[in-house]
Amino acid sequence: MKIAVLIKRVPDMDVRFKIAPSGTAVDESGLKFDISDFDGYAVEAALQLKEKQADPAASEVVVISLGPDVVQETLRKAMSMGADRAVQLKHDAPLHDSYAIATALAAELKGGAYDLVMFGRMSIDTANQSTGTIVAELLGLPIVTAISQLTVNGGQVTARRELEGAYELIACPLPAVVSIDEGIARPRYPSLKGIMAAKKKPLETKPAQVGEERYKLDKMELPPERAAGRIIGEGKDAVPELVRLLKEEAKVL
Amino acid sequence: MGSWSASSVLFTIVVVAAFGFFSYNVQRLVGELQLGRHDDSRWNDLPRRFWNFLQIGIFQKKIFRDGVAGPMHAAIFWGFCVLTLGTIEMILGGIAPGFSFAPYVPAPVYAFYEMNQNLWGALVLAAVSFALFRRITKRVKRLQGKETHADDPLLILSWIGALMITMFASHATTGIVHDLFWWSHALLVLGFLNYLPYSKHLHVVVSLPNVFLSNTSGPGVIGAMRPMDLESDIAVFGAKDVTDLSWKSLLDGFACTECGRCTSVCPANLTGKLLNPRKIVINVRERLEAEAKGDHSKTLLDDFITEEELWSCTTCRACVQECPVSIDQLSVILELRRNLVLGESRFPEEVMPAFESMEQRGSPWAFDPGDRGKWAAGLDIPTMAEMAGRNQRPEVLYWVGCMGSFDDRAKKTTVAFAKILKAANVNFAILGQEEKCNGDAARRMGNEYLYQMLAKENIETLERYGVKTVVTACPHCFHQIGNEYPQFGGNYDVVHHSTYIESLMAAGRVPLRDDLHEPVRTFTYHDSCYLGRYNDVYSAPRETLKRALPMLNLVEMPRSKDRGLCCGAGGGRMFMEEKVGKRINAERAEEALATGADAIAVACPFCMTMMADSVKSRDSHVDVYDVAEVVAGRLA
Repeated sequence: MKIAVLIKRVPDMDVRFKIAPSGTAVDESGLKFDISDFDGYAVEAALQLKEKQADPAASEVVVISLGPDVVQETLRKAMSMGADRAVQLKHDAPLHDSYAIATALAAELKGGAYDLVMFGRMSIDTANQSTGTIVAELLGLPIVTAISQLTVNGGQVTARRELEGAYELIACPLPAVVSIDEGIARPRYPSLKGIMAAKKKPLETKPAQVGEERYKLDKMELPPERAAGRIIGEGKDAVPELVRLLKEEAKVL
Repeated sequence: MGSWSASSVLFTIVVVAAFGFFSYNVQRLVGELQLGRHDDSRWNDLPRRFWNFLQIGIFQKKIFRDGVAGPMHAAIFWGFCVLTLGTIEMILGGIAPGFSFAPYVPAPVYAFYEMNQNLWGALVLAAVSFALFRRITKRVKRLQGKETHADDPLLILSWIGALMITMFASHATTGIVHDLFWWSHALLVLGFLNYLPYSKHLHVVVSLPNVFLSNTSGPGVIGAMRPMDLESDIAVFGAKDVTDLSWKSLLDGFACTECGRCTSVCPANLTGKLLNPRKIVINVRERLEAEAKGDHSKTLLDDFITEEELWSCTTCRACVQECPVSIDQLSVILELRRNLVLGESRFPEEVMPAFESMEQRGSPWAFDPGDRGKWAAGLDIPTMAEMAGRNQRPEVLYWVGCMGSFDDRAKKTTVAFAKILKAANVNFAILGQEEKCNGDAARRMGNEYLYQMLAKENIETLERYGVKTVVTACPHCFHQIGNEYPQFGGNYDVVHHSTYIESLMAAGRVPLRDDLHEPVRTFTYHDSCYLGRYNDVYSAPRETLKRALPMLNLVEMPRSKDRGLCCGAGGGRMFMEEKVGKRINAERAEEALATGADAIAVACPFCMTMMADSVKSRDSHVDVYDVAEVVAGRLA
């Protein structure tokens, strides 16, 4: 079984972002980057699929990422978790249109003879949730999105999707594209053994065949700072003033 | 024994056979040690080693930490030293009839020697009788345990008793009865010698060399972990089996006599966890003996020592401190943890976010690294970068640490210490955003890779600013930067804040309010393991409290100073759930509250969290303060 996992390098989200002087990008100084959360689940799910095969060694997990050379670090991390090899689709300029990105990914996947192509449900930085779907469309393959469980049996994939208060099971033939929601599997922590092994695994770099961007990002802005709270007093005595402020200033009463 | 006789010829044959068999066993045991990892850190600083040998070995310093077993054991040990001379005389006399030391020494010396043979023989007899009585009737808790060889001590003690009785009897009798006792005694001696290699009482032979070769009381930095060479030290990460351990850890297995002092002070064991330091050492010897016999079907990790045991350890070092023969239980635990994490990524799942956050954000908690210096807002405290920008270099760097930077309770200590530094006009700066986790928790949890990454980044930062002196309120930062960063080329003068404040106060640099109306307060001080047992800082925090509070009544808990009980947060336990048994911080908080103190002082942010949480959960009104807060509260 041959599995491709498409992964994206994203900044650590637990920080306060600053906008770069260009006004159309995040200031990356001091930011730490890692594999996007959902993509990490996808890598883990792919590795578990491989390990469940009768002959795991006959299966292959290939991780693919589009971007400048720094994405090699992300690819190495996926390989330190256990992916067999990696492909960097080199592209230095920032891309915003999912269609342009999907074109490049599809060009790489086509002819790769993959049985299963896996995406994260979305990237946690831009959250467009569209690249995987467009890739499936470009490849002419079925796609099941946001799945929380996955089994592959005799040329068929069965996936579970969580719904509000229910779930659905979807079956479709391979080859197929799936996008992974959380809950499928917790990504393993790379052991030092894995990190050492990853240094020797093949990482191929080729130019990305990026399609035309059909929209551009005009401007990024931070939400306005929240005003500080105020203590107007304590106990019963403060109630009239509170009511007055809620009426007159906050205008919620 | 008369002249040369069939008896002396027979005895000579017996002696040669006995020593031959003994030397065979010595070779066997040395061969077993050679199955361990190469370790060349055992022959340096010989004067220090001789000092340990004298203090801990000959003078039984650690043995005496137990007021009952101490004198008992010392009597047997010193008795053996004295009686060995008599045994040599006896053996030589058996080979060459009529031999005695008497012609070779002045008569008074020989008389003194003979008197001592009798005196110590009597003392040993009394001591082993007491030991047998204690074993059989008192059932001392630390001597129990299913991992022990419980019948062995009864045999050995009786054996020693029989040695003494036959010795006295042979002296007191003549003729055939004498010969009978003489031969019994001789055979018991030689038999004893040859029984040792098969018994836990091998410690009779191995303890003294073990004390000499041990690094647990120095030489070298006490409590520092072995640095791994991550480029080449990778055939096996840490240790999975005895063959991956240092030969010295294997010797520890031979030196252990299963006294259980380690286990009796282990905070994990005391609160019902599976960890049992004595079992770890016994397992090493058991597994080594099987390995030496060619049994490769099992490994030390998993088959003998389980993950659950390993993750229960707080690395508090109480076991190491207590061992009378300087065994290092902790190094085995930590090497096995390394194998779990580096080799197999096996660790409690709740640790994962801490590892990831240390890697991503330089702190085990998921705070924005940009907020690290936020506590200092409005306090007019410069960062190293700001000072460097003005071409200035501060006298000291205040290393704040992750808890001090991000934890709301610990931040109060941080601010308090900063106020003291300002009041004392200390020229200091912080690193702010450039500071990262010191890596201690990662290293103790076995993640040497992550640890070295953090340590090297921090050293690079410190070098860039030419830092010489570091003060910190966190004993883990203190121990790491001061004691373990030198392994990677970072050499700084690192001072814990308790010591630093005390020296500032001693120099009259801390202006305090006048103390006319200070109420009498009763404090108890909880020792931090990484400050106390790892770094021998016991008096500074206590002295600081006394200087700050003139009316202080300082009461000690039953377990204090080098016998202090861990708060439960060390060794990465801070980041793990405590699901089994009683909570360690509950055990400790109860002990602190039982002193009747109206406040508990700590000198570590980890201890602060553990103690404050537990005290609070008891609806107690007892306050928990850091020593810096106590001083800051008295600033003029």
